[in-house]
Amino acid sequence: MKPVNFDYERPRTIDEACELLASNSNARILAGGQSLIPMLSMRLSRPSLLIDIAHIKDLSEIVATDTHIEIGAMVRQAVAKNAKMIQEYIPLLSKALHHVGHPPTRARGTIGGSIAHADPSAEIALVAVTLGAEITYRVGDDDHMFDATEFFIGPMLTVAPPDGCLVKVGFPKTSKICGTGFYEVAPRRSDYALASAAAQINFDSKGAAKTIRVGVGSIGDFPERLDVDHLLNTDLNDESIIATVKTAITEIETVDDLHASAEYRKRVAAHLAVKALQTARDEVREAPAK
Amino acid sequence: MVEKKYKFISQPRHPSENRRFVAGRGNFVADIDRPNMLHVAPLSSHYPAAIINNIDISEAMMMDGVIDVITGAEIGAAIQPLMNGLDTPKVQRFPLAVNRVRYAGEWVCAVVAESRAIAEDALEKIIIDATPQPFVLDAEEALLPSSPPVHPEHGSNILLDRKFVWGTVGEDFVNAEHNLSFSVIWGRNSTVPIETFGVVAEWNGWDNILDVWASVQMPKYSDQIARCLNLPGNAVRVHYDVDVGGSYGVKRGIKHATLIGYIARKLGRPIRFIEDRLENMRAGDAHGPERKFNVEVAFESDGNVRSMRMRALDNAGAYAGRAPFQLGKPISAIVGPYQINSVSYHAISVTSNKTVQEAVRGFGQAPTNYAIETAMDRVASFLKMDRLALRQRNLIRSDQFPYLIPSGSTYDSGDYHAVIDKVLAAADYKTLLVKRDHLRDEGMMAGIGIAACLEPSGGNSSFEPLLNEANKTSTWMESCQINVDGLGHLTARIHTTSSGQGHETLVSTVLGEVLEIDPSNIRITRPNSLESLPGNSPVGSRMAIMLGGAAARSAEKLKAKLIKIAAHSLGIDAEKLTYAGGNVLAPDGRKHTWQDAVELAHRQFHNLPEGMDPGLAAFDIMQVPTGNALPVDGKVHMYPCYSFEFHLVLLAFDPVIGRPEIHSYTVGHDCGTVINPAIVSGMTYGGIAHGIGAALLEEFAYDPNGQLMTQSFLDYLMPSSHEVPPIQIVKHCTPSPHTVFGQKGSGESGYLGSPAAISSAINDAVSALDIRFEKLPIRMSAISDAIANKSA
Repeated sequence: MKPVNFDYERPRTIDEACELLASNSNARILAGGQSLIPMLSMRLSRPSLLIDIAHIKDLSEIVATDTHIEIGAMVRQAVAKNAKMIQEYIPLLSKALHHVGHPPTRARGTIGGSIAHADPSAEIALVAVTLGAEITYRVGDDDHMFDATEFFIGPMLTVAPPDGCLVKVGFPKTSKICGTGFYEVAPRRSDYALASAAAQINFDSKGAAKTIRVGVGSIGDFPERLDVDHLLNTDLNDESIIATVKTAITEIETVDDLHASAEYRKRVAAHLAVKALQTARDEVREAPAK
Repeated sequence: MVEKKYKFISQPRHPSENRRFVAGRGNFVADIDRPNMLHVAPLSSHYPAAIINNIDISEAMMMDGVIDVITGAEIGAAIQPLMNGLDTPKVQRFPLAVNRVRYAGEWVCAVVAESRAIAEDALEKIIIDATPQPFVLDAEEALLPSSPPVHPEHGSNILLDRKFVWGTVGEDFVNAEHNLSFSVIWGRNSTVPIETFGVVAEWNGWDNILDVWASVQMPKYSDQIARCLNLPGNAVRVHYDVDVGGSYGVKRGIKHATLIGYIARKLGRPIRFIEDRLENMRAGDAHGPERKFNVEVAFESDGNVRSMRMRALDNAGAYAGRAPFQLGKPISAIVGPYQINSVSYHAISVTSNKTVQEAVRGFGQAPTNYAIETAMDRVASFLKMDRLALRQRNLIRSDQFPYLIPSGSTYDSGDYHAVIDKVLAAADYKTLLVKRDHLRDEGMMAGIGIAACLEPSGGNSSFEPLLNEANKTSTWMESCQINVDGLGHLTARIHTTSSGQGHETLVSTVLGEVLEIDPSNIRITRPNSLESLPGNSPVGSRMAIMLGGAAARSAEKLKAKLIKIAAHSLGIDAEKLTYAGGNVLAPDGRKHTWQDAVELAHRQFHNLPEGMDPGLAAFDIMQVPTGNALPVDGKVHMYPCYSFEFHLVLLAFDPVIGRPEIHSYTVGHDCGTVINPAIVSGMTYGGIAHGIGAALLEEFAYDPNGQLMTQSFLDYLMPSSHEVPPIQIVKHCTPSPHTVFGQKGSGESGYLGSPAAISSAINDAVSALDIRFEKLPIRMSAISDAIANKSA
């Protein structure tokens, strides 16, 4: 388990990183290294140039715009987990981060790295898809923005430009009244999940559901959003949640492996999606009136 | 029975090894750095079975930093095959595949280079031309005459096929009111230590000696290396002062040591090989038993179990090794803790195109206990009897010891009913039942698991002559050597590596107890094999009994000498003297101190008794207690001591998610006199954690193409601290009559019963749905799928 020989560069600016990327067609970006380093060791990844973006200051910032919270690609998961701005405006991501790895892996692992790596069971990717996050890559001097719902196309496979560097992920801010739920099931705590689900309900000031977002992960090749718009016309009672999720999930393709059957994944994902929606609903209903 | 009072034994003392391990100052094999050392990486086969036509190493050999590439053909011609346990001479095993590959991952050749990274680069340049062959993975299929033999020279895949009948089985089945049958499967798992196997070897041509440092737990390791490499026994020097980062059976490394020893001798430079995780999981040859049981039991309406027929089919993997013997040890406790009058046992071991099996914690006893305990649950279910009451009815009573079981072993002592009573009280069994029902009312599937079982201990291995008539071994000794230096300080030598069982604490505690001196001031050394007396390493839960025994006997010899010196010096008969705190006291109040004896023994030969040699040294080579006979008529007494454990578990899971959460875990443990409580508890906790893995998570699973699917910790799931609940250990002490302090073994404790208990709990949880889980591990997906299928 020794990587093949590679060159190593640690640029200070995004421009430098992009220049390095352009200089070598077999270059890879190293962020937190929690997935890439084992892949290098097992020679599953064989870059000839590794570009370590840890020292690019701009990439470690969390910025609020009018509509989004933009998280720099190098923001560590542990930092994001504790960030007040994220807790306030992207509570779903805060919840999901509790399930990401363990304290030592979160201390190194990054938001951007998880998105770029595109593991089908990644919690951060699931939240990005559920909320429709904007994923920005820099290619040369140009920014390319991708909608998270169209970004992931297979296990460890995305539409990211091969010569691009992920710079930030913009998560839409929640409405003032909002409920969220995040659940996953794994054989062991913080293992790669066998099924996961995320839900966010944005309410208007009168307490009516404005948008309902539900996503499921870990069960197919990439996280997917379930179409539950039908629920907007209901009072979010348990029966309609269960029925809507059941219908929405039928079309999702699930994978079968040693740890769980395809049927298990679908059954449990539906179960968790229902739970996530119920939690999101109940958070608001139980919340004190503002 | 009243427990004896000890000053150091059974007292809560910190294991002396803790200091260096906690401070990160252990000396592991990867810490061994020899000048000019070379590194090795093996090339693994992708085929589960293939004939090797050609290996093209030319490009690899031209790379900078590559020194040599060793092929199977080269080493097969140069060394002797590795030792087989059974008389199966055509099942030959070498460190590298010779002509034929027999499992995916098997090492085909080995690159020797200036660094491990260069060696791995070179692996990619080697071209193997091989013709794939038919292969077999399943043990039942391997039994069929039509199955492709893993070793064509051997003629079939059958390594062992022995039928034993102990007692009036046929008659008991005819006379019993009921019988039932079932089958269960124990999945392939292992102990999987965090430290993989590693070895460093160095040949000194001027002294004609091979030095070996290894992360090893292997009886007669140096002998085996010497035999394979055609060297005299005293030309192999294994260094025992290497800390072993986990083993519980699997760190045997004989193929690694012969390979690295051969290369070291050929190239004249120190060679290091530390397995990486992939090499360890696929080809470390360290998988545990994979066993299918067909069990029939005959019993009465009142719950008395009369007789049992057991067929145990074990999948040994591609080579024989000691794997088939893991069907032999359970013969010594084949009725578990129960009064079962007669047993027939059909033990079958087959080769398959899977990784080779090695000894794992319990040496086959945990799977057998799982089968026996499943039988108890099934009988109770059949009779609609309480599972606990059924067990209590069948357990051997304390007044029945020594208790001879049908297969020839005599259990030494125990009070199983008392242990169970203590556990029921400590766990508050009645409340546990209420909790279970409460969880069920909340919509959870909740179950209580029960398992009672034995841990044969003392490490006699008379299953060897029982299963292999050519093997006449009845000796299974352990040794200890002690010396008081000229300043009066005591040093003891132990003659094996320690893989976490705290042997240094064991020996110093025992010596301190006998000699009545502070164990903290006793130095323990682990010299090399050439400076050692014979021993058999920590296998079969033996070291408290055997190393503790040899240490105590050495100390008694030293004490006798101290008294003799004092008697001569004081001019009093030795019988009139008393020994206290290292000093010898005369009835008249005079005192001959430890230091007085040191002075005389080391410096005043003229004042020693006539004929006495100088110095204060003693040693003892101790044979295993009760181990004095070869098998007769398929019966043999095996182990001196039998520890008892009783597990009581409450777990629950959501019917859709199916992930068992353990709400309560209590284990009763009687391993006789405990030498060091912290060490025994630690081993029991670890054993239960390992058992939770075996029951729920861990499996070396193969796909239909013969590829190992669980090659790393990504897929081979061991329980973490999140999955192991707080465990309440309830202690009981029934001393063994066969050991110095009444101690029994405990190295395999916990693991021997926890898989059975967890399986029992899960099956209890789903019993209302008429679902049965008959294979370990029981994955959460399987639980949920079975429930969903019932509801559909």
